[in-house]
Amino acid sequence: MENITKIYSNGFVANKGITFGVGENEIHALVGENGAGKTTLMKILFGMENCQEGKIYINGKEEKITSPLDAIDKGVGMVHQHFMLLPSLSVAENVTLGVEPMKHGLFDFEAAVKATQEIADKYKFKVDARAKVRDLSVGQMQKVEILKALIKGAKILILDEPTAVLTPQETEELFEQLFLLRDTGVSVIFISHKLEEVMHICSKITVLRHGYCMGTYDAKDLTEASLSKMMVGRDVVLKIEKEDPKVGKPIVEIKDLVKIDPSGKHVIDGVSFSIHEGEVVGIAGVEGNGQDEVSDVLCGMGGFASGEVKLNDKSIKGKSVRAIRDMGLAYIAEDRMVYGVAGEMSIKMNIVADRFDKKEFKNGLFLNQAHVNEVVDKYIKEFEIACDGRDQPVRMLSGGNIQKVVVAREFTSGANFILANQPTRGIDVGTAEMIRKTIVRKSRNDGTATLLISADLNEVLECSDRLLVMRKGKIVAAFPKANEVSEETLGEYMLGVKEMTMEEMEALL
Amino acid sequence: MNKTQKIETGMELVRILICLLIAYAAALVILFLIADDPWFVIKTFITGPFSSPRRIGSVINQSIPFILCGLSMCFVYAVNKFNLAAEGIFMMSGCMVALVGLSLADYNLPSIVMMIIVYAVAIVTGIVLDYIPAILDRKFNANVVVVSLMLNSIVGFFAYWVLQNKLADPKKSSVESRTIPASIQMPDLFGKLKVPAGLIIALVCTVIVSIVFYRTSFGWKMRIVGSNPRFAKATGLNVLSISFAAQLAGGALAGIAGATEFMDNYKTFKWTTTTGHGFDGLLVAVLAKKNPRLVPIGALFLAYIRIGAEYLNSKSNGAVPKEFITVIQGIIILLIAAESFLSGTKNKIIFKEAQKRLDAEKAKNTAAA
Amino acid sequence: MFTASWIGQFLATGIRLATPLVFAALAAAVTVKAGMFNMGVEGMMLCAALAAPIVAAQTGSVWIGLLAGVLTRLLTALVISFSSLTGKTDLYLTCIAFNLMATGGTVFLMILLTGSQSDTLNALKIYMLPTLNIPLIEKIPILGPILSGHDILTYVAVLSVILVSFFFKRTRLGLRLRSVGENPQAAEAVGISSIKMRYIAFILSGLLSGLGGAFMSIGNVGYFMKNMVGGRGYIGLSAMNMANADAAGASLASLFFGLCEDISLTLKSNKTLNFPTQFLDMVPYAATILSIMVINFIRIAHQRKIEKGEVAAK
Repeated sequence: MENITKIYSNGFVANKGITFGVGENEIHALVGENGAGKTTLMKILFGMENCQEGKIYINGKEEKITSPLDAIDKGVGMVHQHFMLLPSLSVAENVTLGVEPMKHGLFDFEAAVKATQEIADKYKFKVDARAKVRDLSVGQMQKVEILKALIKGAKILILDEPTAVLTPQETEELFEQLFLLRDTGVSVIFISHKLEEVMHICSKITVLRHGYCMGTYDAKDLTEASLSKMMVGRDVVLKIEKEDPKVGKPIVEIKDLVKIDPSGKHVIDGVSFSIHEGEVVGIAGVEGNGQDEVSDVLCGMGGFASGEVKLNDKSIKGKSVRAIRDMGLAYIAEDRMVYGVAGEMSIKMNIVADRFDKKEFKNGLFLNQAHVNEVVDKYIKEFEIACDGRDQPVRMLSGGNIQKVVVAREFTSGANFILANQPTRGIDVGTAEMIRKTIVRKSRNDGTATLLISADLNEVLECSDRLLVMRKGKIVAAFPKANEVSEETLGEYMLGVKEMTMEEMEALL
Repeated sequence: MNKTQKIETGMELVRILICLLIAYAAALVILFLIADDPWFVIKTFITGPFSSPRRIGSVINQSIPFILCGLSMCFVYAVNKFNLAAEGIFMMSGCMVALVGLSLADYNLPSIVMMIIVYAVAIVTGIVLDYIPAILDRKFNANVVVVSLMLNSIVGFFAYWVLQNKLADPKKSSVESRTIPASIQMPDLFGKLKVPAGLIIALVCTVIVSIVFYRTSFGWKMRIVGSNPRFAKATGLNVLSISFAAQLAGGALAGIAGATEFMDNYKTFKWTTTTGHGFDGLLVAVLAKKNPRLVPIGALFLAYIRIGAEYLNSKSNGAVPKEFITVIQGIIILLIAAESFLSGTKNKIIFKEAQKRLDAEKAKNTAAA
Repeated sequence: MFTASWIGQFLATGIRLATPLVFAALAAAVTVKAGMFNMGVEGMMLCAALAAPIVAAQTGSVWIGLLAGVLTRLLTALVISFSSLTGKTDLYLTCIAFNLMATGGTVFLMILLTGSQSDTLNALKIYMLPTLNIPLIEKIPILGPILSGHDILTYVAVLSVILVSFFFKRTRLGLRLRSVGENPQAAEAVGISSIKMRYIAFILSGLLSGLGGAFMSIGNVGYFMKNMVGGRGYIGLSAMNMANADAAGASLASLFFGLCEDISLTLKSNKTLNFPTQFLDMVPYAATILSIMVINFIRIAHQRKIEKGEVAAK
């Protein structure tokens, strides 16, 4: 792939002039943080997205890949992070979907089983072609996904974070399989940010960062540390002027929190920390390591299995979102269009959505429209929301302005705990700046306690006072002063190169 | 941005008008094809309802239950729960009014007192009946539509049984109740137009419902829940109880609708099956885009085409069966609900406007440079 | 009273009454497997019920009438699917609107074509589908009337249950339909067009409910009556829901409902016990609601147990 540039329709440039190549009989790693552009690049190769600029060459010939089917035709197969299988059907049926063998116009189940078994044996996969997919373990499901690609003749196999869902043994098995594939002429592109695995099985490594390609290297020339240094870094260092926090009493206290998801996995595995008055605690970490679940628990959108969570000295277990908000929570959700606003409704209704039930906005049985309008107009001005007036439907605003509506509501709710999950994702620099500055200012002036969960390193390093790192549902590092942590160090903890012990972290939680 | 908003609302209006026109045109086409004297039939259809004060009055009369049922369905549609029990409630409510009215006839209570009692009964009936599908949905995750439709059948039979066994006047040859006391028969207004006083109730309800929707916290809560239930939850609203309450409110209005229609136009209770007003209410709510303030307009339009069709039904006017109007109604709902209908055009216009603005800005910038 | 012949007759009637329900349930199951909840079955059956006797009367052949019934259903299925798949209307609303149209439209057409204002279409010559009497079997006590002597469509219904199950398990098309219903993304990823599949599902659904509707008129009574489907489409839908779209289970559920109706009819005709007719009429509908409640309650309780870890999730 040469000079690929991909710009998404909201102006976000995902890939900037990336040149990347894979050779025969090679397991090639594509690494980078969340949002670095790895999945996008592969989606382009697999025909799920198209690019503004750039060319793709397969076996020396230039190709235009227009759709997944096209990609499959040209020998490219992809195994996605989220499996695309049909649980109630058998392995054979899943594998042969789309290329089902027929006999007398009917689906020939036996032939499908045979074909599946053949491919499985060829690459030494151990699967029972007749078993139903929903009865399989996750590792086996992944094998089925790989077989799906292989049976259609894939010569280039893209694996997107394959080990994210596997146990250590399954991971070992997968690696053996990949070595076999490599030796029989299939090239593998291995997307991951698990550095130890990458170093273990890949011969070449390409690093992406913030949409740019940082280079392709031989694995033997790198160490995990040097690799993480290349992956984790800030291009522009954002410095926010701030005084030291005046830390007061704990507002949020979490002890031994455990949350189990429907498949039995401990998505939060014994987490304890507290957030005090006047400070901003940041949680850094690769997405999917439990941060979102912590956010869900704190705001009341999800429950938890065991542990203690207190807000302003009262337990939130079993309480509704309304009750927790009344106890002092303000919540900036990760996905603003789904949880942050009602797109069809007016700016006015969105801003007062959490409080129009309160006395000050009511006039007997009715809403005090005048007061509502007054308050909303004030906020529109204060937060500089660019709009056509308070009655405009929110979905017509730009992303940054929509987020301004969200913060206008959350920052003025009178809460003393702000839960901000990816507050500046996908919005323009100016608005992001404003939101960050407001978070810091509120903690200094109003004494708000804030939990900032963010995949944006700039943000989490500059806005947080104390910094925690989460990995695999646990807290693996704690730092007293975020802006004194180097990116390399942070990267090492985020990617699992290092881990702090409980004693080291005790005092900092 | 302002332009875009104006274009959107403008296009929505135009879209509804076009849908109505297409449906109306379809009606005309059908008439044309089947009538012996097409032009006469078409003319009668269009102008018939206006041809005499009596007829205009009947259009308004017909619109009263449509308004009330439309308001009822606005609540239900606002929270996206298609609880169609209004149909059964309408009939049962009329039945209960007859029952109560006849039982209290001997007390000779003044009209006002009777009205209040009777409406209270109607509202309670509506709430109780609408409660059933709502609670089954909440506790058992049962499909609201199917349950409410089954319930309608059950209620229909039950009301008929009540009619046959409790209300029936043995002196009459057809199945109907004894005459209800005059105290609960609605007087007619406006002299020659002969519009029953139920109109006042309908208009009052429209005003009240509009106020509730747009000026009370409950109305706001309902609309937010209907617009984005996940957001509603994240902001602390109790989605389940709000949807529930909305359905009950809808039930109460359906009860009022049935009672009013009965007292407006009948001296004895003789409904033997459900009347279809529940579904008409849904149509009106869809036409009015869940906005109670537009319900009377939708109701009037529906009444207009209905009366037109009924008018054609009589032999002298072409003997066109009036049921064709249900087909038209279906077409209207389908066209309006089809979101992609004409949305392509709408987007094109918005895009063109955006282009124009961009060009204008560019021109301004180059001129300034 | 409970003689062997009475039992046989009772069950036979139950089967007869269940036939349209089975077709409706199968029609609904087909679309549910492809991921959509087709409530329009009710209206679809009504259209077929009207078309069949009319065309039969016009052409003089009961078989062509049957064909016409099925064809109308296909047409109506296309209307619904076009509306919701291409026009993007909410499927529920579309089906409600369509059922309304069917209710009124069929009466309209009936009056139009026959010139009479009555509720039933018995002005036309009555055509009925033949019944099938299997020679030896019909002599067996109890089982005899159950297995033989039914209208031909009843046998077709039984056959359909088998065919539909077979279709989904063993044909390529069936497989693809299920994939679209279960995980449209997975299907799209291998090049199956979910929209095309859904149209096909609707067409098949049309076929099945067409048979069901035709049965009601030319199979059962020989004429068309205003609103003769009377909620059977919805009952069939609930049957399917209860059996979780499994063809065999759905037909058993339909049979159950058929028997309920049977009970109600029997009690009605029984002069000694004087049950008021209206309450008996309610029986099938009330049974539907009750069974929905019971089944869902069991399902939810089971779900809760899984979440608490008492039972392993499947």
